[in-house]
Amino acid sequence: MSPAHAIPWKPDLLQVPPVQTQPSGVALLEAIGLTVSAPGSPERPQVLRDVSFTLRAGATLGLVGESGAGKSMLGRTLARHLPEGFSVDAGTLRFGGEDLLGMPADDHRRLLRARIAFIPQEPTTALNPVLTIGQQLQEHLLHLGVAKDEWRERATEMLAEVRIHEPAQVLDKYAFQLSGGMCQRVMIAMAFAGDPQLVVSDEATTALDASTQAHIVKLIRSLQQRRGTGVIFVTHDLGLAAHACDELVVLYAGEMAERGPAKRIFTRSLHPYTQALQRANPHLTGARRLLFSLPGQMPGISDFSSLKGCRFQPRCAVATDTCTPHVPAMREVLPEHHVRCVHGASAPEPLLAADASDATLLHAPRMSEAPFLQVEGLSKTYTPRGWLRRGTSMHAVKDVSLSIAPGEFVGIVGESGSGKSSLARLVMGLETPSEGRILLNGKALVARAEDWERRIASIQMIFQDARSALNPRRRVQSLVTQSMESRPHLHSDRKARARELVGDVGLAPDMLARFPSQMSGGQRQRVNIGRALCDLPQLLVADEIVSGLDVSVQAQILNLLLRIRREHKISLLLISHDLAVVRYLCSRVLVMHRGVVVESGETEAVFANPTHAYTKSLLAAAPPRDLQVRWPA
Amino acid sequence: MSNLSLSAQTPFRRALGEPSVLIGATLLLLLVALAVFAPWLAPHGPNEQDLLSTLLPPAWAHGGDRSFPLGTDALGQCILSRLIYSTRVTVIIALTAPLGAALLGCALALIAGYRGGRIEWAILRMVDLWMSFPAIVLALVLMVALSPGLLNVIIAIILVDWTRFCRVIRADVVVLRRKDYVAAARITGASHWQVVMKDIVPGITPTLVSLISLEMGISVVAESILSFVGMSVEPHVPTWGVMIADGLKSVFSSPWGLIAPVACTVLTVLATTCLGDGLRRTSDPRLFNRSGS
Repeated sequence: MSPAHAIPWKPDLLQVPPVQTQPSGVALLEAIGLTVSAPGSPERPQVLRDVSFTLRAGATLGLVGESGAGKSMLGRTLARHLPEGFSVDAGTLRFGGEDLLGMPADDHRRLLRARIAFIPQEPTTALNPVLTIGQQLQEHLLHLGVAKDEWRERATEMLAEVRIHEPAQVLDKYAFQLSGGMCQRVMIAMAFAGDPQLVVSDEATTALDASTQAHIVKLIRSLQQRRGTGVIFVTHDLGLAAHACDELVVLYAGEMAERGPAKRIFTRSLHPYTQALQRANPHLTGARRLLFSLPGQMPGISDFSSLKGCRFQPRCAVATDTCTPHVPAMREVLPEHHVRCVHGASAPEPLLAADASDATLLHAPRMSEAPFLQVEGLSKTYTPRGWLRRGTSMHAVKDVSLSIAPGEFVGIVGESGSGKSSLARLVMGLETPSEGRILLNGKALVARAEDWERRIASIQMIFQDARSALNPRRRVQSLVTQSMESRPHLHSDRKARARELVGDVGLAPDMLARFPSQMSGGQRQRVNIGRALCDLPQLLVADEIVSGLDVSVQAQILNLLLRIRREHKISLLLISHDLAVVRYLCSRVLVMHRGVVVESGETEAVFANPTHAYTKSLLAAAPPRDLQVRWPA
Repeated sequence: MSNLSLSAQTPFRRALGEPSVLIGATLLLLLVALAVFAPWLAPHGPNEQDLLSTLLPPAWAHGGDRSFPLGTDALGQCILSRLIYSTRVTVIIALTAPLGAALLGCALALIAGYRGGRIEWAILRMVDLWMSFPAIVLALVLMVALSPGLLNVIIAIILVDWTRFCRVIRADVVVLRRKDYVAAARITGASHWQVVMKDIVPGITPTLVSLISLEMGISVVAESILSFVGMSVEPHVPTWGVMIADGLKSVFSSPWGLIAPVACTVLTVLATTCLGDGLRRTSDPRLFNRSGS
C-alpha cells in the first residue's frame, strides 16, 4: 500500500483560469439533424427532433431542459443504450470524424471504453454496494490496461486528483460509508481515469448539496482544462449551466428551442420557453418579483405526434397563427445564437401576472403579530439501541426555539443532515422531542390523545415526496378529503369538499377520479397540498416540497402557496435547501447546521449580511446571477 | 399515455391476461368440480370392493376391465373412483388451511410490523423458534395429540404453516408503515385501526394473494404426507396420500395404483404454483414495469 503522503499535492489544481467563451479546439462531437423515435402507432413520436450542435475539444456543452425534454436521450444515443423500441431515424452523430451511429458494435464498444466516459446522476447507486471502492477502481483500471501491480498506486493518485483526503483509506471503504459528494468524486475519478476525450455528465450534481455541487463543477472544470476533454453537461438548472458551460442547447419536448453561447443565452434569452424558465426561477439577489408560472405541463412522449408545428406553442404566451402547422426552422438570429421561434430575436414580452391582483401576492397580509406557535428549546437525540451495543448518541436537533405568527411564512434552510426535516417532524408530532416543548396558542402540546387532536386540527404537513405520501390505491377524491374519514360525514359533503379543494390547488375537477400514478409530479404535489388544507389548519409544515420538481412547476407551486395565504390566512414553516425559494416565500429565516440554529432573522437581512460562516458558505455555493462573478470561486 | 392505460386496468383483469394464472385457475376449478360432482362422476363408490378383480391394469392395457378405467388396487377398489373422491379432502384442505394460516400469520404480522418494539421482538422470536422445529415432525406430533379427523388435519397444517405468512407479511408491513402516506393518514386524524385497514392491508394484499395460492399446494402435499403415514383423516376416507401408501405395496405388480395419485398430487401443486407465480407477476409493480411497455 502506498502511503497517502507520497502523493504530490498539486496546488495548481485550485487555480482555475477563467473560462474562455470561444474555445478554439477542433470539433469533437458533432450532431446534425439527429432524430430519435419512440415506439408508437400510427405515428412514431419523435423524442428528439432535428437536434444539431458541435462540441469542440476542451469545451463544455450544456443541455438544459426540464424533465421530459429529452436531455438524457442524447447520452443514451451516444452509448447506443436507447430504451427498447427506440431508434435513430435520421441525422448523424460524429465523434472525432467517425460515424458513431454507423460503426460496428465492437468498434463502438472500444470507443466507449477508451474515449467516452459517463458520470451518472445517482453516484451512490452507481457504485456496487458489496465491493470496496478499491476493488471497483481496480476492475476499471485493469480494463484500461493498467498493470496488475500498479493499480493501487494509480487509484490513489486518481482519488487524490479529485481532492479526496486520505485516498489510501478510501480505497478500503464501501460506497455506503462515503457521502454522496465523495461517491460522485469517485465516479468522476473513474470517468477521467482513461483520459477520455469526451465526458457526459448526466445531472451529476443534481442529487448533491449546493456546496458539494460547486466543488464538483469546479473539479470537472479543472480536470477538463488540464486534459482538454470535451464535456456534455446535462442539467435542468439554467443558472448553473450558464456558469459551467461554454455553449448551451435548450431543449423542450425533444426539440431544440435555442442554441448559442451560454452567457448570451442567460443574459439575453430569445426563445419564449427560455425566457419563461428564467422568469420562473426565484433569485437570491435583486428585487423580489412575482414568478412567472408557465401554464400547463410538458407534454408526454405519446402526445408528441399530435403536436403540430412548434411544440411549445400550446403553452406559449406569444404564440401566433404562424406557429402551426409547420415547425419553425432553427435560425441564426445573432452571431452563433440560433433560435427556433417565428419571432426570431424580437419576441414580445409576455405579461408576468395572470391578473392584476396577483401583484399583491408577495406582500404578507396584515394580521396579529402575536405568535400562535412557539417552540422552546426543542432537542431530539437518537441513541443507537441494540444488544451489547452502546453507540454515542446523536443530536438531530439541539435546543431550537422559534415562533410563528398568523399568516407568517418562516423558512428553515440548511444542507442535508442539518436536522431540518427532524425539526419538521417534531413540530408535526411525528417524533417526540427529547427535550423542550411546543406551545400551540399558548398551551403546551404533550403526548396525549386530546393534544394530538388539537395539534392535527391546527398543524398539517406537506410531505417532500408526493409519490410516497399519497396512497397509490386511493383516488384523488378520497386523498384530499382523507381527514374527513375520522369523523362522521355525509358522502355528499365529502364530495363537495373534494371539489372545492382541487379547485383551491388549481386542479381540474376531472382529476378527482384519478389515481396518483396517473398524475404528473406537480399535480401530485398539489393533491398533497390540498389534503393538508382540508380542515383549514393554522400552520402548514412543508418539508422540501419543491425540491423534486421542475423549475416551471416549482413556480406554480410557490405561487399557489402565496395564493393560499391570501385566501385562507395560513402560516407556513418551509423547510428547504434552496435559499432562493426561501427568499421568495419567507419573511423570516432560520439557518440550521448540525441540528443547531446558527443564524436567524429577517430573510432579506440575513441573506444580504450573513454573519455566521456557515450562512456565508451556503450563500456562496449558489451560482450567482451576475456572470462576471467567477463561480465556483 | 400507454403507462396510464396500463395502470388504470384493474388487477383482476390484468391477472386474467396472464397465461399461467389462467392455466392454474382452470386446473383448480376443475378439481373443485370433481370434488362437488364426485358421486355422479365416479363409476364406483370409493370403498366398494370387488375381491374377484384385484390389481387390474387400466382398461386400455392387456387384461384390463372397461368398468375400471384406471384399474383396481389390492382390495379390488376402483382407482379412478378413489382418485375422484379423494379430491374432496384435497379441496377442503386447500381452501381452508391456507386461509386459516393466512389469518393467524397476518394478524400477528400486522401487530408485529405496525407496533414494533418488544411485541415485535417477542412475535419474531416465537416464529424463529417455531420454524427451527422440523415442520413434518411438528405436524405428526400435533396429529398424535389431536387424534385423526379432517378438522384436526386443518388445525395441524395451520399451526405448522402460519409462520411463513408471519415472516413474509411482516417484512411488507415494516416497509409500508415507513411510507409517508401512513404518517399522512395519521395526521389527518385516522386511528391506528383505520390506518391498518385502509392503508396497510390493501398494500399487503398482492403478496398475501400469491402466498395463499402457494400455500394451497403446500397444504395439499402436507396432507398427503400425513395420510401416507396414516395420521390424517379417518381410515375409510380416501385421500391421495392413502392411495400412494396402498399403491406402494403392490408397485411392482400394478404400478398404476401409485402413478395415478402421485400424478394428481403433482398436477395440483403445479397448478397452485402457476397461479401464485402469475398472480405475483401481475400484482408486483416492479416486475410489472419491467415487462410493461
